[in-house]
Amino acid sequence: MTFRLTGRMTGPRHALRTLRREWRLPELRTLIGALLLSVVVLGAVATLAARVQRAVVMSAAELIGGDLGINAAASPPAEFVRHAHALDLHTSALAEFPSVAFANDRSQLLQVVAADAAWPLRGRLVIAGRGGVERSMHAPPAGEVYLDHRALVALDVELGQRVQVGGMDLVVAGQIEQQPGGGDLVALAPRAVMALADAKSAGLLGTGSRARHRLLVAGAVAPVDAYRAWAKAHLPADAQLVTPEEVQQRLAVAFDRAATFLRLAALLAALLAGIAVALSAQRYARRKTDEIALLRALGASSRFAFGGLAWTLAVPAVLAALAGAGIALALAAIAFAYAHGLLPPSAQQAPLPLGPAFAAAGVGLAVLAGFALPPLAKLKSVPPVAVFRQSAARAPRRFDLLYLVPVAVAAGLIALQTGSWKLAGVLAASLAGAAVLTSLLTLAVLWLVRRFVARLHPALRLGASALARRRALSLVQSCAITLGLTALLLLAVVAPALLDNWRRELPPDTPNWFVVNVQDAQRAAVHDALANLGATRFNDMPVAVGKLVAINGTDVDRMAFNDRETQEDADRQVRFSWSAALPPANRIVAGQWFAPDARNAEVSLDVAWVRRFDLHLGDRLAFLIGDTRIDATLTSIREVDWSRFNVNFFVMLDPAHGATLPHTWIASFHLPPGHAQELATFSRAFTNLSLIDVDALLDRARQIVAQVTAAARWVLAFSLLAGALVLAAALTMSAAERRHEAALLRTLGARRDQLRMAALCEFGLLGAISGFTAMFASALGGAWLAHSVFRIRDFVPPWPPLIIAAVIAAIVVAALGLVGTRKVLHTSPLLLLRR
Amino acid sequence: MDNGRTDDSRADMALISARGVGKHVEGPTGRLDILDDVSLDVNAGETVAITGASGSGKTTLLGLLAGLDLPSRGSVRLDGHALETMDEEARARLRLKLVGFVFQSFHLLPALTAEENVMLPLELDATPDAATRARKALAAVGLGPRRAHYPRQLSGGEQQRVAIARAFVHEPRILFADEPTGNLDHASRDAIADLLFALNREHHTTLIVVTHDPALAGRCARIHDLVEGRVRVHAA
Repeated sequence: MTFRLTGRMTGPRHALRTLRREWRLPELRTLIGALLLSVVVLGAVATLAARVQRAVVMSAAELIGGDLGINAAASPPAEFVRHAHALDLHTSALAEFPSVAFANDRSQLLQVVAADAAWPLRGRLVIAGRGGVERSMHAPPAGEVYLDHRALVALDVELGQRVQVGGMDLVVAGQIEQQPGGGDLVALAPRAVMALADAKSAGLLGTGSRARHRLLVAGAVAPVDAYRAWAKAHLPADAQLVTPEEVQQRLAVAFDRAATFLRLAALLAALLAGIAVALSAQRYARRKTDEIALLRALGASSRFAFGGLAWTLAVPAVLAALAGAGIALALAAIAFAYAHGLLPPSAQQAPLPLGPAFAAAGVGLAVLAGFALPPLAKLKSVPPVAVFRQSAARAPRRFDLLYLVPVAVAAGLIALQTGSWKLAGVLAASLAGAAVLTSLLTLAVLWLVRRFVARLHPALRLGASALARRRALSLVQSCAITLGLTALLLLAVVAPALLDNWRRELPPDTPNWFVVNVQDAQRAAVHDALANLGATRFNDMPVAVGKLVAINGTDVDRMAFNDRETQEDADRQVRFSWSAALPPANRIVAGQWFAPDARNAEVSLDVAWVRRFDLHLGDRLAFLIGDTRIDATLTSIREVDWSRFNVNFFVMLDPAHGATLPHTWIASFHLPPGHAQELATFSRAFTNLSLIDVDALLDRARQIVAQVTAAARWVLAFSLLAGALVLAAALTMSAAERRHEAALLRTLGARRDQLRMAALCEFGLLGAISGFTAMFASALGGAWLAHSVFRIRDFVPPWPPLIIAAVIAAIVVAALGLVGTRKVLHTSPLLLLRR
Repeated sequence: MDNGRTDDSRADMALISARGVGKHVEGPTGRLDILDDVSLDVNAGETVAITGASGSGKTTLLGLLAGLDLPSRGSVRLDGHALETMDEEARARLRLKLVGFVFQSFHLLPALTAEENVMLPLELDATPDAATRARKALAAVGLGPRRAHYPRQLSGGEQQRVAIARAFVHEPRILFADEPTGNLDHASRDAIADLLFALNREHHTTLIVVTHDPALAGRCARIHDLVEGRVRVHAA
């Protein structure tokens, strides 16, 4: 009679009993610990990134004064208000227009916002009253106006005095300290805020006025999204939808970089955790071999044996994944609270998204399954006869398709985190390259060791020869440790340098003012006047205004475009410039920059334009500038880094043809705060010029850099943990063998200091190989990140700190290895007699 | 038999000497006495078998005599050194100088070739011509051509021969063998036993064998039979 252990009744009980016993095993703890860590790091970063994105969107919402805006030449139809109220959304109406204000025999062109009492719905209108006391307010009541400092200085008025705006006599009730923009973070002229009713009664918003009307809505996320979808479908012909996400391209670029960097950092940590899972699973599988063989020998069904194994792993894995999601949420909340001072108040209220953390739990379980599957699946082929002969348990070495599973999981994880197959491919190739390089270097060192080991001191010989003889293990250990160190060096040394470079792209003296409409004859005078004010970083470019009229011989008016934005671009005026040299923050991605004296007209376009109009090099575009028509050939395509706050253009002509066109100049410069009086004087001296203040925009961009830097520190901490886990798993891979070896050597008479020296030599070599390779791998990785993600040119890896860090890392690996073998050094020789 | 010498003087002359040795361990159900009041002497050049049923304490006694463990009570002297007064480092140094081992499970290092396994004791002692001597030792056990093979490439009998070569390569004065034929088939058993005793004679070592094989025990000059932790001595 065969005793049969069935899976149905006793499998889970056997597994849970096994789990209680096996939980003490370091392999199982490392395996589950790696899973927990990967969920925590992926979940925390994803949650943080989603929350920061939401916060940036909400922060950008302050720029437009609401969650959504509808811009039009006239007030949007009443149904737009009705529909918003039906969705439980708040609404506010406003109009923006330029108007000349008069006071004390002075006049000043102002950018006026006339709004109803509900404005702003998002952001703050901060008004300073008498005595400088600041308060958050809404639009002023009828009969009052708020002016900014520049306006007060230009008109030479104080609070309580009267100004005329649009023929209305209004009392200056407060000074604008902070104001939600009208969708721009730039102020074309000094600002004023008045009541919408006053603007209407003064006839400032009638037919023929230059006012732009806006309906703002605000509320919960879901109804806003619903309203957005409805509004898109019902938008009048001349109206545009304004959303926070689209408002500022510069912010979007800055945020994209931030998000990509954080996701890459999290990816590295997760991959490290995956490596730790694979190494631990390998050891766990070896431990389970005897048990599986015994169960099979006793008659256990395959279902019982492997069902039990699945239960033993699944129960702690699911618990760890859920716990990891919870910890990730908590950490993201803490990190956000820590960085909350960097965000405006409304953004600090951004809700904690739960989805990313639990999605990370799913990904973590996939990583566990993928990386642990090959070694554990091998247990299926353990024959029952292995209870008598261990050698029978060793399957012949051959390639198994199962080994592609962790590769596929890693590739999927990379693709998921990078969001781009191209990026994923480059990153995967880089990691594979690092592994190949490490393997080659390790093999070379091992070869040298085998050749020259006889010449070493006997104590060192033991360690060096141990490394050389455990070749497969040494390769795996060095690859795992190298990848771990590469990730750590990348995040600890290279990333701060990258972020510093990014920060330096927006140095304190970044141009924070633009001046437009400078005439040719005024250039020198404007330059001198600004220089006298203390302006620095002066840079100017010519501007011509025209219209795109034909593409490849076909009139644009006769072309049908797929989307509204392209149609609008085709319809609106185009501002273009020209320059002999490629302007800063521009990179040629196709074609060539203009020749100095191009015979035929040439044009260079930003990639966005090229994609929008589906253009290719060699295409012909016709522009009408005044009465002049220019037919130009597309000879280069540029990528413009809009986050750099330089003057940039989508369309640029070759200088030979551009210079013949009627044009003005636009200039940028930096001026520290506190020059309102002088700027007012400057404006009066050059009345045709418009000054644009971009300080607020710069602040937002710098905030994002600061947020990323703060978030990066958290990710670094997670990655350090992940790296430590990999090191621990790699260094303890051979713990059982080392204990056996140590017991034998001690039996034969080896002294502890001999064993210690051997361990030091072995791990010292391992650390040196890994540190050296990691140093180059992280430098290359940093250069790639600089080029592909941050678009930083001329990034030089920080070699001195890298070298120092690599040496320290190598020493740490050696020390950790030595510490890890401490128990082994105290192994009793009796261990041999008991086996 | 008492030859007129005192117990102490016999101990002084013996290469290995145990007096009133006892060993207990703490188990889940309380104290477990493995050995009780064991006394024996082994003179230089003697061959001694320690026999007994499974669980009688044979391997424990071997461990105590070899200095791998310390008794709970009593004393063990190895070449005049009182082991209970020495720490593990000192005992290890003593083992390196005096002792060779052969184990039931061979205990070869899987990552080392046969030659490298044999070289181990010499390398630990920083012996300059370790490789040459290892090759000679392997040749002496008939495995010269297999010196570059790894343990997994050798049969059980061949592995045990490598282990024997390792045990003798540094010319120990004492050889401890724990069930040296326990994992071998009948034919290999005899061959290994012949080899062991031949080399023992050649190197003039003192041999202490733990075994439950009466044939192997019978080849020794003296048999110490352990029964419930106590020794009964027979002449072979």
